[in-house]
Amino acid sequence: MSDNLLKLLKGELKRLMKYNILQISFAVALLWIAVIFLIGREQATTFVPLFIFMDAALMTVLYVGANLFYEKQENTLKTLLITPSGYVAVLASKIIAAVYLALQSSVIISLAAFFLFDVQLDFLALYSAVVLIAFAHAALGFSFAIVSRDFNGLIAAVGLYMIFLAFPSIFFAFGLIPERFEAVMLLSPTHASMMLIDASFGKTVALWTVLVSTAYLAALAAGLLLFFIGPKYRENAVRE
Amino acid sequence: MGVPIFSVRDLRFTYRKSRVAAVKGIDFDVVEGEIFGLLGPSGAGKSTTQKILTRLFKTYEGTIEYFGKDLKAYGNAFYEDIGVGFELPVHFSKLTGLENMRFFSELYKKRADIETLLDAVGLLEDKDRPVADYSKGMKMRLNFVRALLNEPRVLFLDEVTNGLDPGNARIIKDLIKDFRARGGTAFLTTHLMNDVEELCDRVAFIREGEIVETASPRELKIKHGRRELRVETFENGETKMHVFPLEGLGENKDFLALLKTASIETMHSGETSLDEIFIKVTGVAGDVR
Ligand SMILES: Nc1ncnc2c1ncn2[C@@H]1O[C@H](COP(=O)(O)OP(=O)(O)OP(=O)(O)O)[C@@H](O)[C@H]1O
Ligand SMILES: [Mg+2]
Repeated sequence: MSDNLLKLLKGELKRLMKYNILQISFAVALLWIAVIFLIGREQATTFVPLFIFMDAALMTVLYVGANLFYEKQENTLKTLLITPSGYVAVLASKIIAAVYLALQSSVIISLAAFFLFDVQLDFLALYSAVVLIAFAHAALGFSFAIVSRDFNGLIAAVGLYMIFLAFPSIFFAFGLIPERFEAVMLLSPTHASMMLIDASFGKTVALWTVLVSTAYLAALAAGLLLFFIGPKYRENAVRE
Repeated sequence: MGVPIFSVRDLRFTYRKSRVAAVKGIDFDVVEGEIFGLLGPSGAGKSTTQKILTRLFKTYEGTIEYFGKDLKAYGNAFYEDIGVGFELPVHFSKLTGLENMRFFSELYKKRADIETLLDAVGLLEDKDRPVADYSKGMKMRLNFVRALLNEPRVLFLDEVTNGLDPGNARIIKDLIKDFRARGGTAFLTTHLMNDVEELCDRVAFIREGEIVETASPRELKIKHGRRELRVETFENGETKMHVFPLEGLGENKDFLALLKTASIETMHSGETSLDEIFIKVTGVAGDVR
């Protein structure tokens, strides 16, 4: 099983390159850096966390969801089910690939932030946060793809997710939503993600917020995988 | 009969959200070393049955035994044993044919030589082209190679010659016969009578989820076939068809009279074709090629 996980992962990473996703993700990270140059480096402390969040959370949802749809269309999900690997290893390989993608972006952006814009940050805390955020959002991406009928349905689901959960937390970050709503905001996975990223950039985030956010994201990912994606994955992959 | 590899008893399956069962209590055995054909019109439940046997669907009722042990008791190692050829192409279109095969091959313990297989189906020259550039027939041949990557004991083939020109269909059919000659067992679904006649040791006719008959192609012909002579004559400005049994033809007065008096256009002796049997048994027209 672990042997096949490595081979599946190798395949995933190879396809990330073949399908130019790795390259595009790299280019997007460079683009964010260019944007910060344009906005002005004094704004970097505000925007660097935001861009890292966008890559780790929103890009991951989109990538995982689109990947699932694409492979369903190509029937490769189905043919992987009739190999000795088992679907758990297939799911794991896809999640690890998505986390890797998010980590690559955050490393590029954070190094630029540190060396070019003098932004202070705790690298270890940031990368741990990115792993957790990407993991949770990969689970969300799988879930959205499973409930959507087609690719447009997926885009709609991600759109709704952004409007109801992501934008409020971005508004919150800019102070457009009053502080007293913070506890409610934490119910949003994006807000929990933002808090963890903010904390790694040394912004004042209460310890309980960090703990609750971490537990919430981990529980969300585990819950979705165990109770929704796990039971539905096979049926979804086989459905034509 | 030999050792049953699959014993299927009272198998039933209903798709979620569907009100009627797709498979309604079928029984059959697939015996070691044979090519077993599941034959029936579109929508009869052939692919559904194959997906149940390959454990893609697990919510069936009834029992399936694989080598005498409940299929549900097997782990993922079951897949080391079987090769599955799907109805539709199953490849990463941006990877080349060879890259695709390498990726899947690595997931098995036993590994057939990929280039030998590609060569056998005439794809060796195209091995480094992305599958997106393959024609439909090339993709179906690659599907066949995919099914053989792990040197399976049991081969499942869903409409394997679908979309192939006669030359390539010939190649695939010969490879299936080679597979049997080396001791392999195959489960084949099709609605093409030619495939059945040439390949299958036994066929089960499935119709609306029920098996209506199981026999060898030869038994079917003997049971349903009629040996007869068809004579076309030209009378009063139109062509007329007369049919006579071959038995006792020499003493058949009507026939002898016809020979003397009529102007005969054509005369053919024939046994009932499997196509006619297909229509008779399933009540639906099969596809002829
Ligand atoms: N995913 C599905 N959901 C609901 N019903 C389905 C599904 N797939 C197939 N069916 C139904 O189950 C029945 C059997 O379908 P199946 O695909 O097994 O037929 P088949 O014999 O393979 O036909 P064909 O020769 O066209 O491939 C059909 O009535 C079909 O409409
Ligand atoms: Mg079918």
